Amino acid sequence: MTKQEFLRELEEVLEADASSINGDETLAELGSWDSLAVMTFIAMVDEKFGVTLAASKLADAKSVGDLIALLEDKISG
Amino acid sequence: MIAFKLILGNMTPITIAGVRITGIASAVPECIRTVDEDAIAFPDSDVSKISDSTGVRKRHIVTGNLCTSDLCFAATERLFIESGVERNSIDVLLFVSQTPDYVLPATSCSLHSRLALDKHCASFDVNLGCSGYIYGLWLASNLIACGSAKRALLLAGDTISRIAAPKDRSVALLFGDAGTATILERDDDSLPMSFVLGTDGSGQKNLIVPAGGFRIPRSEETAIQTEHEGGNIRSEEHLYMNGPEIFTFTLKEVPGMVKSLVTDYDAIDAVVMHQANKFMLDYIAKRLKIPKEKLIVTLENYGNTSSASIPLALTDALSQKLKNTSLNLLLAGFGVGYSWGAVTVTCGPMVMPELVLVPETAAMQFSQEI
Repeated sequence: MTKQEFLRELEEVLEADASSINGDETLAELGSWDSLAVMTFIAMVDEKFGVTLAASKLADAKSVGDLIALLEDKISG
Repeated sequence: MIAFKLILGNMTPITIAGVRITGIASAVPECIRTVDEDAIAFPDSDVSKISDSTGVRKRHIVTGNLCTSDLCFAATERLFIESGVERNSIDVLLFVSQTPDYVLPATSCSLHSRLALDKHCASFDVNLGCSGYIYGLWLASNLIACGSAKRALLLAGDTISRIAAPKDRSVALLFGDAGTATILERDDDSLPMSFVLGTDGSGQKNLIVPAGGFRIPRSEETAIQTEHEGGNIRSEEHLYMNGPEIFTFTLKEVPGMVKSLVTDYDAIDAVVMHQANKFMLDYIAKRLKIPKEKLIVTLENYGNTSSASIPLALTDALSQKLKNTSLNLLLAGFGVGYSWGAVTVTCGPMVMPELVLVPETAAMQFSQEI
């Protein structure tokens, strides 16, 4: 998956407007990064990447960049 | 270490033959709490969004002194009446719950007396929640299959609303209360049940009531409510649930467990999983390619009722069918512990009373018992 495709998936998880996330945001800025969003994100990653992310790692993530780093070898560009 | 891993990875189903489920009854408290009432309690939260995700629209919750035992008692009395089963024919009583009457004695002993069972009947409690009904079926059917009992009464229920902090969104909007009764008995003609069970205690901290046992006894300190992540307010005597961690655990363990029992859903009539929350059930079903029409979801009216959720879902969604015909069911429970279990079982025709509504006045008073 490319970074752009990942950002579009993330927008869907967060119910954000299309193309509103550019990858430089902190999760706090995005506002809706609550436990429901975390669970939806875990499901999305499980489905699209075949990876079950540890919730503890997600709890440590502070930015969209941190999320991308968790999937580093599976996101290109 | 290698041998340990091999054992962990080996989920060969356990098959138990010669046991039949002959009746299930479920009971809930009369009092209903709706999502609109929840919204008033959480003015700063998007309760309808949470409700869309969990699938919970209303829950039956206990009021006053109503306990799990009172709900299970009401379910059992109805089951005795409708099945005609003689009280003195019960050889073993199992009470599966995490919300007992007392620290001791076992609630099963109290219920044994209240139900006027025979003195020869063995009674014991099992402290499990989400997986508890599967463990109860496994225990009861093992006891019957090996000849220790001819007829077992399995009671499973919880009143988690009593330990859910009213200002903690992660639990206060999710849990409902219920008590159930299931009768199992020897029947050499019945089809075998297949079980898979598992445990991973390293996840205990993610679903826990820390205080109130002997590790952290209740004290003035444990009663202090403090604010946690997301503005949730609770004390150490309340239920703590880390939803994302539980979801990760579920994704890691449940698909593999179910696949070790069922790979083709043609022969399965219905799948009843622990009613954890709708989002989780829908996703697990998608992962396992369970046909939508076979997945039973009854959270809407009851919420997550812990150890009662599977039998309650059977009463709510399948009682008409189970009264008249035979169904191949896949049942699966997973959660607190972590603990998990699943079973394939052929049920029915059997006794399935209507849902029993229990008033607050049905609570047994301490003074009546001593």
